[in-house]
Amino acid sequence: MKGRTIVITSGKGGVGKTTATANLGTALAMRGHRVVVIDTDIGLRNLDVIMGLENRIVYDLVNVVEGKCRVRQAMIQDKHKLELYLIPAAQTRDKDAVSPSQLKALCAGLEEEFDYILIDCPAGIEQGFKNAVAAAGEAIIVTTPEVSAIRDADRVIGLLDASGLHRPKLVINRISAEMVKRGDMMGQEDVESLLAVEVIGLVPADERTVSAANRGIPAVHDPRSAAGSAFTRIAARVDGEEVPLKEIEPRPGMLNRLRDMVGIKGRAYSHA
Amino acid sequence: MSEFPGIDSSRLSGESKRRPVLITGRGTDVAFNLDDEAPLDQLTDELSDYLAEQSALYSRGGISINTGSRILSDDEEAEIRRIFKEKSGLKIARFISVPSEHDPQPELLTEDPPVARLRKDPDPVDDPVVNLSSADLARALSGLSQQGQRSRSGGMVVRGTVRSGESVQHFGDLVILGDVNPGSEVVADGDIVVMGSLKGLPHAGASGDEKAAIIALSVTSPRIRIGPCEASGQSPHENPVGRKRRKDAATAQPLIAYVRRKSIYVSPFAGRFARYTKGVPYEG
Repeated sequence: MKGRTIVITSGKGGVGKTTATANLGTALAMRGHRVVVIDTDIGLRNLDVIMGLENRIVYDLVNVVEGKCRVRQAMIQDKHKLELYLIPAAQTRDKDAVSPSQLKALCAGLEEEFDYILIDCPAGIEQGFKNAVAAAGEAIIVTTPEVSAIRDADRVIGLLDASGLHRPKLVINRISAEMVKRGDMMGQEDVESLLAVEVIGLVPADERTVSAANRGIPAVHDPRSAAGSAFTRIAARVDGEEVPLKEIEPRPGMLNRLRDMVGIKGRAYSHA
Repeated sequence: MSEFPGIDSSRLSGESKRRPVLITGRGTDVAFNLDDEAPLDQLTDELSDYLAEQSALYSRGGISINTGSRILSDDEEAEIRRIFKEKSGLKIARFISVPSEHDPQPELLTEDPPVARLRKDPDPVDDPVVNLSSADLARALSGLSQQGQRSRSGGMVVRGTVRSGESVQHFGDLVILGDVNPGSEVVADGDIVVMGSLKGLPHAGASGDEKAAIIALSVTSPRIRIGPCEASGQSPHENPVGRKRRKDAATAQPLIAYVRRKSIYVSPFAGRFARYTKGVPYEG
């Protein structure tokens, strides 16, 4: 079966595209798939750092498309020996070093061998975005529940539509359950009603995501990370499994945690 | 202009002598602006030469032909289509003409995919939306409409949300089955009907018809225009959070915006041609 190429994009920077790519890629590989993640943020590469593979880079995406090395030589295997490979971006070049058709050809080749090709798209809607989108057959949009991020997501959904990527899926990242509950932050329904696209995942704001990125180990490896388990669930949905979206609830208070410990049924809580 | 590597830069603006064919563009869209003064055969020669040399440049994106104040006959238009087809295989998405008393600037395609998704027809020649003859457009845009001779084309339906950065334009009535999001614009020669919330910039009766109306389930646009009239919203930033807003949206009563005494009023919708006497000035 041919693999699926999915671009992970947002328009706005800093909403968690790269983190989402690393976590989804890892989670899909943990489900037993063969996965390649491609960093197309040429000149501002990050995905290698988040995945803890920075010091293993020899060749990069630009070397591959320029024919300076074979694709295999630029693919770095994941630290945990999963069937997960990274093609890093070049740091010393810019977005014009790659063309949409080159990326298309690269992904078409990879689709023969791999189940998933995830493309980490740079912020913005310029050349880098066009490169990243050209090769993809599907799109996941990452947004945070902020008006600025949502405005940009709206723009990107329109651009994706114009380039033939219809019905993108939405990941809402960094949701603070407390703030949603207080009415200070948009929740799933608010975002859904503004953007009119299907939500495929809700990721709670989670400090562990930051420390996981610092250590170069995606949060899905940490079973106690709420964001990590959210990404695991998103990977299952991407994979076609029916996993209901759970509304993110505030973290349990001390009392409920005690109740949990002693086995008394407290108020149910969960993370999507 | 750097988005078009390979375009001979001397053909772009900034050159002292005016070129008969000026090519402008943005994103993947390209406009060929034909000089008003130059004789048509000079223009066609220029186009042929240019396309023969450079046709490989544009693999995708919309091509529009801006004829300025010139009104092409159907034959002349067909001739230009033929040149494009033969020399380059490019398809013309639309012809634009701007009557000289309005806007002397050629209408550029200023945003990335203007109405691109409305034009799914693989062969634009047969596309009813696109295939207005330029004479129709010119007539629709010019003062003729005031004498009731307007040749307005029929309605157009947009199935879905009009998103930020998108621009939907139609020489007729425009119906949108979705929201019109902030940062977008919808322009119609006739009425605009939005089966959703209107948050972008609408312009109904764009050729100057102040009898046109805007109908929507809710209107929070920062600015709305009908014919020559314009009104600004003054309401503070809409709070995007909360059940109440969603519930309001679900039970919304449609509104109509119309022009009275050169001002834009809004009123609960009670029929397109009802007599509205109790509207309030639009304030967002």
